[in-house]
Parts: sequence; C-alpha cells; structure tokens
Amino acid sequence: MNARLTRLHQTLARRSLLGDGATGTQLQQLGLLPGACGELWNITQPDRVRQVHQSYLAAGSDLLTTNTFGGTSCVLAGHGADQRVHELNYAGAKLAREIAGDRAWVLGDIGPYGGMLEPVGDDLPATVELAFRQQATALLEGGADAILIETMSDPVEAALAVQAARAAGAEFIIATYTFQKAGADYRTLMGTSVGAALAAVLAAGADIVGANCGTELSLDDYVQLTAELAAATAGHPLIVQPNAGSPRYVDGKIRYDESAAQFAATVPRLKTAGATLIGGCCGSTPEHIAAMATHFR
Amino acid sequence: MSLLTDLTAAVAAGKRIDTVRLTQELLTSGARPQDIVEQGLVPGMAIVGGQFKRNEIFVPEMLVAARAMKEALKLLEPLLASAGIKPKYTVIIGTVQGDLHDIGKNLISMMWRGAGFAVIDLGTNVSPERYVTAAQEHQAHIVGLSALLTTTMPAMKETVRLLKAAGLPHTKIMIGGAPITQAFADDIGADGYAADAGTAVDVARKLVGEAA
Repeated sequence: MNARLTRLHQTLARRSLLGDGATGTQLQQLGLLPGACGELWNITQPDRVRQVHQSYLAAGSDLLTTNTFGGTSCVLAGHGADQRVHELNYAGAKLAREIAGDRAWVLGDIGPYGGMLEPVGDDLPATVELAFRQQATALLEGGADAILIETMSDPVEAALAVQAARAAGAEFIIATYTFQKAGADYRTLMGTSVGAALAAVLAAGADIVGANCGTELSLDDYVQLTAELAAATAGHPLIVQPNAGSPRYVDGKIRYDESAAQFAATVPRLKTAGATLIGGCCGSTPEHIAAMATHFR
Repeated sequence: MSLLTDLTAAVAAGKRIDTVRLTQELLTSGARPQDIVEQGLVPGMAIVGGQFKRNEIFVPEMLVAARAMKEALKLLEPLLASAGIKPKYTVIIGTVQGDLHDIGKNLISMMWRGAGFAVIDLGTNVSPERYVTAAQEHQAHIVGLSALLTTTMPAMKETVRLLKAAGLPHTKIMIGGAPITQAFADDIGADGYAADAGTAVDVARKLVGEAA
C-alpha cells in the first residue's frame, strides 16, 4: 500500500471525508452537449475537465472523482469509442491526479455498463467483468488511489465490478447503488433491497459502500435512506452522494431545487445517520461542496 | 375457459415454456388467435403492469413476463397476419435525441405490445425530425418520448413542438422517464404523461379514446 492510501485509511479513522459534486452537469455548463461522450473530453478538452476538478479541490473536496463514469467499452461503444477504453480512462485519471496532487485522493469512477446481465438480459458475466477490469486497470495506471463503482442497480453487476476492480489491482474499492422509493421501502431499479444490495458488494470485497444519485429523492429522504444503509454496512464506512434534489424544468432551464445552504444543513443529519463520506451527485456544484466543507476537517 | 386463464397466469408469472405450450394447446383446440391475444396475453401483461405500479414486482419480473409474451406472439402473429387482423392502434416510441438509455423505453414498448398495440420502436437518440417522419408514415395514434437524462428534457420539448407543428390531428404525444413529471408534460404541451410502465398502458388507452 502506498503512502497516500495509508493516509486515506488513517484520515478516515479520524474524521469524515468530503467528496466532490457532479461532473457531468458541470461539464455541460462548460459546453458539453447533452448525450455527447463526456469521456472524450479527457483528450479533447483536458483544460475544462481540469477546471471542474480544480473548482472542487478549491471548494474543499477530499476526494476527486475522475471523468470516466461511462468509460466501459460497452458504454463507449455507443459513441463509437469502444477501442479507446485505456486511452480515455488513463487520461481521465491522470487529469484528476494532476489537480489533486497529494492534497486530495482520486477516485477512479466506474458507472453501470448499460445493459442487463443474464438471465434477465442477454449479457454474459465474463464479458462484463472484462469490460470493468479493462477500465479499472487504466484508471489505476493513470493514478487513481481507489475505484468508485457507482449508480448501480443490479447487485450481480455491482459485485462483478468490485471483483474486476480487485483483479485489476485496486487496493481500495467503494461501491454505491442508486435507490428509489418503493412504497415505504427503498429499492434499486431491479427491486433489490438496501440490505441485499450492500451484502452483495461487501461479499465481493468492497471496502466502503453506500448510495448515490436517486430518483425523486429529497435530502430528507436521503437522511432516512442513510439510516437504513448504516444498519447494513457490517461495520464498513458508509458513503452517500445525493442529488441536489429532483430536477425541474423552469422557464426553459433545468433547475435543481436543493440549494448549497440546504445541502450544508443536511450534512450533520447525514453524519448522525451514519455517513462517513459525503459528496453530491447530479446538480450539485462547487458551491454546494464549499458550503458543506465547514462541516469537515 | 380455463386454458385462457392458465395462459394469463403463465404470462404474468413469466413462465415462457408454459406460455408457449398453452398457446399451442389453445390453437389446437380451435381458439381464435385474436382471442388468445385479447383474453389470454393482454390480461396477463395487465396483471404485471399493476403489480409493477404497486411496487410488488420490479424490472426483472417485468422483462421475464414480456419475454414469455413475445414467445407466444411469435406463434400468433403470422396467424393474425394471414387472417388479415391488424392491431387497432399504431404507436411509435423512442428515446429522445442525446439520450442513449433504453431500459425504460423497452419496458413501455413491451407493455404496449402486451396491450395489443402495433409498436414501432425507433430506438435511442431519435431526432425530432425522425419522430415526425415516422408519425406521418405510420399514421401513428400515439408517439411516445422517453428520456432518462435531465439534460435531454429540452430535446423532448423540441420534439413535441415539431410534432405539434406538423399538424397530425390524430396523433397524441405521450412522454415519460425518470426526470419527467406531469407539470413538465403540461409545460411543453404533451397530451399525456405516464409515471411508470404499468401506467403507460392506461394512459395510452385513454389517449386513443378507449376506457382504461
């Protein structure tokens, strides 16, 4: 284990860590077109990607997330870029590392591969595992300290990704799911309960588990969800990265309702509910992170 | 007729082999293909839609049921075609421009097929112009727009605008997807909004003037 990773463990034992906010919505503000391949910007617009990382670092993030959410060959294939997995992920990790230096830790970001595994879908686990492993390998070679597997719905896919990251040599793996309300319960899109979802990635060897994003979840919902998650982490640290509320379309613009101040006010409640690592997902900005930063360190 | 109720139960439970066997038995016993669809398969998918809406089942169970239904339709569709029986309503569906997500769109497509509509699936990343061309070409009763990404909501607005401007008096526009709300549907002038794949059938039936 290198010194930076040792320090991550030591810091985590001492205090909560602040993640960063959304990457995709920030890049879109810098001109990335909806539906365009954001990972290509790691090569074509590195300064704009650096700018996003820099603004989160300045806001106080302990953890910077690479711009590689859709970086598996499966997702890149939709943009005709499936042959560029190593190039785009390596570049993504390098950009975050450049900005972070030793002042922040870099999380190599892996999102869902975009399909359905058998038996519900047609994709074979071995194919998907290979796609995750290729991505994780490039992220680690580019300088990621840890792998962040996020926005998962299927526990089998999430566990595969954890195993693939481990096989690629990751020494620190975070795995998070996206939940939605199902009556009084929280479930993933696939219907997986909080307990079953976390158990799957913990069994696969994840070090930190939790939730990010979410459909129609308010910050109050997230506090409740955090308490449920905390009861299912088997002693592992818990990470939560909520959206800045649900998106609304107002006067021709997409708005997220939860302000930076509301985000900051929720931090102590999330901590009390059991979260140790807290960041933001869709719609959250450097302003949100800066407002939250007063509750860390 | 108990074979039909068995078929309904088999579809709802996603039992593909039973669904095919019962469909064959019904055909052998002389049942009309359109009755097998309307009284066997359609009620089965309606059960699934209701359970999904009530959070009793989730995406995997829906997909498995839809797969069972599809297998039965493979047997029935050639017979319906040769008997000159066409679905009453034609619906078009696609994920809007800039959005490559298809799980939600596929679920709605399956539920509509299961409700007896002819479904034309335009795929993902569909331009506003392609929706209009397809709606004109197929004289669609409904055009369904799906979006997962918040950022593609403006593309949905533009598509609705273009469809309205094309002046298709018999074509209704329906929208849905994770970030979509009734308020957004009202705002951009869509005729209908469905919160989930279970509701999508009811809304579509209402839009074409059939009781849900």
